[in-house]
Amino acid sequence: MTDTPTQTVESIITVTPGALLRRRLFGHYGLLFGLAILVLVAAAALFAPLLTDQSPYAQDLSARMKPPFWMAGSDPSHLLGTDQLGRDYLARLLYGARISLLIGTVTALISGVIGTALGVAAGYFGGKVDLAATFLINVRLALPVVLVSLAIVALFGGSLQIVILVLGFLLWDRFAIVMRSSVMQIRGLEYVNAAKAIGCSKTRIVLSEIMPNVINNLIVVMTLEMAHAILLEAALSFLGLGVQPPTPSWGLMISEGKEMMLFQPWLITIPGIALFLLVLAINLLGDGLRDVTAPEAKG
Amino acid sequence: MACVKMRNSLLKLSAGILIAVGPLNTAFANKADDTLRTTFTKEIESVDFYFQSAREGSILSRQIWDGLVFRDPKSGEYVGNLATSWKWINDTTLEFKLREGIKFHNGEDFDADDVVYTVSFAINPDNHVTSPSYVNWIKSIEKLDQYTVRVHTDSPFPAALEFLSGLVPIYPNEYYAEVGPTGMGLKPVGTGPYKVESVEPGKHFVLKKFEGYHDGPKGQPSIGTIDIRTIPDINTQMAELLSGGVDLVWGVPADLAEQLASSSDLTVVNESTMRIGYVTMDASGRGGDNPFTNREVRQAVGHAIDRQAIVDNLMKGSSVVVHAACYPSQIGCTKEVETYDFNPAQARELLTEAGYPDGFSIDFYAYRERPIAEAIMAYLADVGIKANLNYLKYSALRDLQTKAGGGFGFLTWGSNSINDVSAITSQFFKFGGQDFARDEEVKAWLDAGDTSVDEEVRKKNYSKALQRIAEEAYWIPLFSYNSNYVFTKDVDFTPTPDEIVRFFDMSWK
Amino acid sequence: MLAFALKRLGLAILVTFTVSVISFSLLHLSGDPATSLAGENATAADIAAISRQYGFDRPLTVQYTDWLWKALHGDFGESYYFKLPVADLIADRLSITMTLGICAISFALLTAVPLGVAAAVRPNSVVDRTALFLSVAGQAMPSFWFGLVMIVIFSIKLRLLPASGSETWRHFIMPTVVLGYYAMPAIMRLTRAGMLEVLNADYIRTARAKGAGAGRVLFKHALRNAIVPVVSLSAVQMGFMLGGSVVVEAIFSLHGAGYLAWESIGRHDLPTVQALILIFSCFYILFTLLSDLANAWLDPRIRVG
Repeated sequence: MTDTPTQTVESIITVTPGALLRRRLFGHYGLLFGLAILVLVAAAALFAPLLTDQSPYAQDLSARMKPPFWMAGSDPSHLLGTDQLGRDYLARLLYGARISLLIGTVTALISGVIGTALGVAAGYFGGKVDLAATFLINVRLALPVVLVSLAIVALFGGSLQIVILVLGFLLWDRFAIVMRSSVMQIRGLEYVNAAKAIGCSKTRIVLSEIMPNVINNLIVVMTLEMAHAILLEAALSFLGLGVQPPTPSWGLMISEGKEMMLFQPWLITIPGIALFLLVLAINLLGDGLRDVTAPEAKG
Repeated sequence: MACVKMRNSLLKLSAGILIAVGPLNTAFANKADDTLRTTFTKEIESVDFYFQSAREGSILSRQIWDGLVFRDPKSGEYVGNLATSWKWINDTTLEFKLREGIKFHNGEDFDADDVVYTVSFAINPDNHVTSPSYVNWIKSIEKLDQYTVRVHTDSPFPAALEFLSGLVPIYPNEYYAEVGPTGMGLKPVGTGPYKVESVEPGKHFVLKKFEGYHDGPKGQPSIGTIDIRTIPDINTQMAELLSGGVDLVWGVPADLAEQLASSSDLTVVNESTMRIGYVTMDASGRGGDNPFTNREVRQAVGHAIDRQAIVDNLMKGSSVVVHAACYPSQIGCTKEVETYDFNPAQARELLTEAGYPDGFSIDFYAYRERPIAEAIMAYLADVGIKANLNYLKYSALRDLQTKAGGGFGFLTWGSNSINDVSAITSQFFKFGGQDFARDEEVKAWLDAGDTSVDEEVRKKNYSKALQRIAEEAYWIPLFSYNSNYVFTKDVDFTPTPDEIVRFFDMSWK
Repeated sequence: MLAFALKRLGLAILVTFTVSVISFSLLHLSGDPATSLAGENATAADIAAISRQYGFDRPLTVQYTDWLWKALHGDFGESYYFKLPVADLIADRLSITMTLGICAISFALLTAVPLGVAAAVRPNSVVDRTALFLSVAGQAMPSFWFGLVMIVIFSIKLRLLPASGSETWRHFIMPTVVLGYYAMPAIMRLTRAGMLEVLNADYIRTARAKGAGAGRVLFKHALRNAIVPVVSLSAVQMGFMLGGSVVVEAIFSLHGAGYLAWESIGRHDLPTVQALILIFSCFYILFTLLSDLANAWLDPRIRVG
């Protein structure tokens, strides 16, 4: 009888933060599902050349719009059928995953750097710096993202680089807002003050005292912005002012398949579901990470 | 488990809803209210014919206004419309007797003043009409009496009647002087078989049968109301057609037309058009030095593209491969030109000879039929030419070309349905904004053809120009277009090859 | 309160001004508009004349000041494409976009708030999970794809709703759902979080302890407090939606301002694009300003911070 409480206390104490995190991680289905899908998509993108021997660009005008494997009249060499120009749909889908992931990642990195720099500076220094940062955030939020991106792409031409740059320079607002408030919350905490007291440089304080404590939030925002960027790219490409053909972008695939959607609906269903699942996965991952690292903020 | 289940059910759900479109039974109620509903694809700049450049604008103009003469789309003969007779006084003077007793939709009487005012307005460079070439062959116009006018040209202009029949609608002088192009665009007034009930700029046009229409060659209109909405997305147009929201759609892509043909509620008619597609290249280096200043590179492009495959699989219908820079039926067009058969090996060889053994990368411009542009790009990629697509609106691309940009691209030209080489070859090879060949000799031959009234002289000169264009591969003409007209079984309509939809020729069955 | 309001108003004006500078300079990078206006067969003299006529030969700052001054008076110049005053063109189209925006935000609120409340009342229940799934799915659903699927189902298959146009209220149903669904997840999550927080707060417990009925507690006390941030979020979302309605308008061929912007961008119709970007920005700024002021009025703590 007397042993039991002691044991319990011991077992509680021996649970390391890492173990607790692991326990939470594996108990979170949304996160696991998101992670699994994301790993699958990433693997598909990475190993695309191994998964299919077809080129996403090779056209065969005599084999157009072959249906996918579950429909009558399908061709075994084209598992997911072919598109309007007879290009292998599976190959386009796999190589398209590269485009989506590339856009998501690079955009999130660019906007992450901009937004974090701005947000941390605002949160840490406060005062005039904060005022200036808040002003910039307000200006950015006031600009309609879709219209401004469309306009820029129309002016400078649609290429992968331009789309990534445009989105990268437009989607930093959430980083800045979240980083600003996170840093504000901890800048007055004791250990930060202690670091200040012993004369650490500002760079050092920010990098070694502040950043590690806000990195969770950063990662969560990064996943959300990745998803956001992927959807935006798809929308821009759909409107014809994003990535240009013949690049196999999923948004472009939907846009091109749209013409035949009434009769060959799989042309938009396949890339549509792919896009949906990828974005869903990234969002679930982001939500999950937030729940796991900051369970009190769940909701 | 939960996840797998969810994904499965999602797949099933989407597949279930999407795969079966089901039978197409609709009660089309539009015959009952005597209103034909149809769509435009493009938002036109203005209804004022002189201040727009779209096919849709031409179509509207034929309903609202009349020209001096009318070309019968079946026989190709010119018959009097606002004019009753005409004669050439000399090589550069054409005299018209006007029809009496015609009234405009607003009650204004039609006479020589209207003709003189309209033409003088259009040819005045200060007014900046959108397509000056439609009218700038006219030097001046003069009124002899209330119902007689004389058109003077700078030099002989054999296509005068053709131009006057479709490109010079006559406006009411008093009204136009008062409201100007903006007013005419918003509240158009003409003599045509349909008067305009309402205009929402760019997006919605309602036409009503003009009860007082004169008994001219167009005949009396039959359908009471024409309701035209701009639906830029062909797919939404299809959705409307299938759900009974519209009665007539034209320019339907071949794949869709094939599918729709099986519907018992719809009639699908394929008709050829005068439009041809072509690849243009910056041979003269207007936009700076580029590989296409080398003839072998241009010829390589000709050999790289499998035009027959594009016609067979993408264009379908009545499209044919064309080799000369004109539509075969056009007066002055010839088949006797150098042809470039599909031969990628030869294309690669030519590129190697030209000093591009590994090909090159270059910007490529297009404005319509993106799949065809993509197919062309894939053929080019096969021989080593990496084309980077820039997909623009036509007006933007034309602007770019006048500024010497966009020299390499896939474009099309419909000749405004004018059955004469002067409406296409002369438009593009006489040092205009879109001429990237800049060949003095070609221009001289075209000038000679354009200004002669002797059919043989014209043909000889046009042939020379067309042969040079083919030899030098300034353009790679690709194929002619066709148009699919899809309409409900209630509509009685026979499309014509000039791509002009005539509502006044339609009736209910 | 007045000080806060003035400060906030000052910021809004400054932001508006900056946005106008950005949109102006952005679009003037695209080259000489005179050449585009002059059109085919224009000579250098024609282009110069047009340049003078429209004032393109003046320094950019002068052009900007002139444009801004006129814009402040409701004159956004003439559309290069339609040759009509931009203000007239936009006024007509803006009403469609506004109708759509209001319908969409109402739809989002009417679905998201009850769902959020239900989810918060029974955390981790079936309702909560369904709500969560709907919201996650909503965030991941590409709106253009969702729109196309809706057309296939409701216009083609079931023939219940028109596929395009804006003539009757029935035309607005599908666009409303598609656009509103986009704003729904955020509103639902915020309602749920706010409700959870409030339901655990002392005063609710007190109210409950005092024996207030469950419904009364829920609606009179809890929802009233939880709804404040939701209202301000809706204002922000409304601003985003107006700017983002271009996709939905394009799919359903709604000739609204977003669609006009998209088409004008393709046509390089600078005055129209400029005016639209500015107007959409102004809407956003106005909505956030109003919501900030409303919040400050409702919650005095904000005024100080």
